[in-house]
Amino acid sequence: MYGNWGRFLRVNLSTGEVKVEEYGEELAKKWLGSRGLAIYLLLKEMDPKADPLGPENKLIIAPGPLSGTSAPTGGRYNVVTKSPQTGFITMSNSGGYFGAELKFAGWDAIVVEGQSEKPVYIYIKDDHVEIRDASHLWGKVVSETEAAIKKEIGSNKLHIASIGPAGENLVKFAAIINDGHRAAGRAGVGAVMGSKKLKAIAVEGSKRVPIADRQKFMLVVREKINKLRNDPVAGGGLPKYGTAVLVNIINENGLYPTRNFQTGVFEHAYEQSGEAMTAKYLIRNQPCYACPIGCGRVNKLPTVGVTEGPEYESIWALGANLGINDLASIIEANHQCDEFGLDTISTGGTLAAAMELYEKGYLTDEELGDAPPFRWGNTEVLHYYIEKIAKREGLGDKLAEGSYRFAEMYGHPEYSMSVKKLELPAYDPRGAEGHGLGYATNNRGGCHIKNYMISPEILGYPYKMDPHDISDDKVKMLILFQDLSAVIDAAGLCLFTTFGLGADDYRDMLNAALGWDFSTEDYLKIGERIWNAERLFNLKAGFDPAKDETLPKRFLEEPMPEGPNKGHVVRLKEMLPRYYALRGWTEDGRIPKEKAEELGIAEFL
Amino acid sequence: MLVKLFATLIEFTGKRKLEISGPKTVGELLDELDRMFPGFKKELEQGHIILVNGKNIEHLQGLDTPLREDDTISIFPPAGGG
Ligand code: SF4
Repeated sequence: MYGNWGRFLRVNLSTGEVKVEEYGEELAKKWLGSRGLAIYLLLKEMDPKADPLGPENKLIIAPGPLSGTSAPTGGRYNVVTKSPQTGFITMSNSGGYFGAELKFAGWDAIVVEGQSEKPVYIYIKDDHVEIRDASHLWGKVVSETEAAIKKEIGSNKLHIASIGPAGENLVKFAAIINDGHRAAGRAGVGAVMGSKKLKAIAVEGSKRVPIADRQKFMLVVREKINKLRNDPVAGGGLPKYGTAVLVNIINENGLYPTRNFQTGVFEHAYEQSGEAMTAKYLIRNQPCYACPIGCGRVNKLPTVGVTEGPEYESIWALGANLGINDLASIIEANHQCDEFGLDTISTGGTLAAAMELYEKGYLTDEELGDAPPFRWGNTEVLHYYIEKIAKREGLGDKLAEGSYRFAEMYGHPEYSMSVKKLELPAYDPRGAEGHGLGYATNNRGGCHIKNYMISPEILGYPYKMDPHDISDDKVKMLILFQDLSAVIDAAGLCLFTTFGLGADDYRDMLNAALGWDFSTEDYLKIGERIWNAERLFNLKAGFDPAKDETLPKRFLEEPMPEGPNKGHVVRLKEMLPRYYALRGWTEDGRIPKEKAEELGIAEFL
Repeated sequence: MLVKLFATLIEFTGKRKLEISGPKTVGELLDELDRMFPGFKKELEQGHIILVNGKNIEHLQGLDTPLREDDTISIFPPAGGG
């Protein structure tokens, strides 16, 4: 087999048993790898009703067939598990170097099962796998953990994925952080790791990924790298300004969510934009493994020194969504979130819900005591509560449950801007209705990554679509994006390559590496299979389309108050039935037997 | 009218905002900007996002979109992120 190694590690932390399991090319041809292989294993082996923080949940960490190769951005990995925040599937994706290193060590995935009694970490050096005591690391922040493990093993070549105090304390939106600042961030994968008492995975590898036709692969890769370098976005705006180049664009288009999505225009957007950050704090770019784009930022601040990030999403979540404009505070808060192992989007979304509850008088000064008040724009809130949430201290304990559960405790879940209890990212869907349909139908809840309709609706990729058009063309484009992003995730590449590459380009690289002669449609079929399989997992876990496939009431009933989208809501009810029909699902959003048979997943029905 | 410039266009012109009077359409405005900053239109050749009061001209009348003196026009080079 090429691309994939055809084997994965199974580590049972209840028994301490480590097993090597092999699989054949037939499975790879059906699921490709990474996110695909992971959902297959979960459907086959796990009860979707299992408690996400119990021993029955499995944590699958998987690079893809192109991870660790010279394919542009080939360093990504996915963490697939049942989310404690949503109760449904999640596939959190991260860059950096950890994913590639795991591949170099010769593994397509690590399946972590059971629960250890005491804190441990897993050390992998090629075929050598060890479960080591981590009691002395428990409580440590990410940078300390990484440094301590490198010292202990005596190797600087290690790449490490770990959790901070937030994951240990089962914060519902705890992240797994690798290489210091890269996060498999969303939906609480860090809490699942914490529930298994797994502090870190440290990897060192020396193998070369098997490629079917190395010469051809090199030629194809070179062509795609050139395409990315010559693309005005992938080779221009993204490397120059980072993802934060979006701040001004999204704000000028009137969908930059401000003060918990009360409006879509932030008066101080420029001060926290990529342009401002580049001028004031940037010292260099930080590319992930084999990435010719290099959108990552390295900034320098007097307070925290040299640090990586923040990304567009984090700037917004810790900025405009809280009415905060001070970029230095935002960079510092982002650094804190990385150290404690918190997802920045959910951290910001949860604090924003608290601010709105405070504004409306449901959360009172009495309850806050000496803590800083939840006033819009109050930067003190950031630094104080990030630590309190991670440690579950004081009100931080309630906030650690995420915005939905928090707002529900105060009787007003409608102030949680979330889908399936996962906080929404930085685009108000009243300014991009197709993107809104994407939020509602996303298998892991309020996420933009797996269906980035902002691209056609605002940025004009692959071509410009009217943000308020809700025709079938729009719905079809969303479905294509969902299926294609599943393929790119499963391949082990970064979704930002889509600014310069199209579906045929991924086909070329995969075929050359894997030695297959699949058509673009064949690969998109794999994407569709993955999307459907993940939905099937959710349906079995108790997902109810009639109740769960929706958006916060604000977007359906409260028209945007100002700016270019003034007066608009999301017409979700009009789009959903057509989405179901075009997906080949039943009228009530379920997967019929014929569809499951067509995709070869009927055995899991 | 208020013209707002972003990303590389700020470096190109040395300006973030400017007041311009006269152009009757987006096309005429770009001609005017090209006169003020020679090469401006070439900067946009690889793509652009032009908004009039926050609305993309692709959904208005493109370069023929009419302008009024109290309009705000935002001009971006091609960009993406996530
Ligand atoms: S584009 Fe950015 S996030 Fe993606 S692989 Fe490159 S540096 Fe990493």
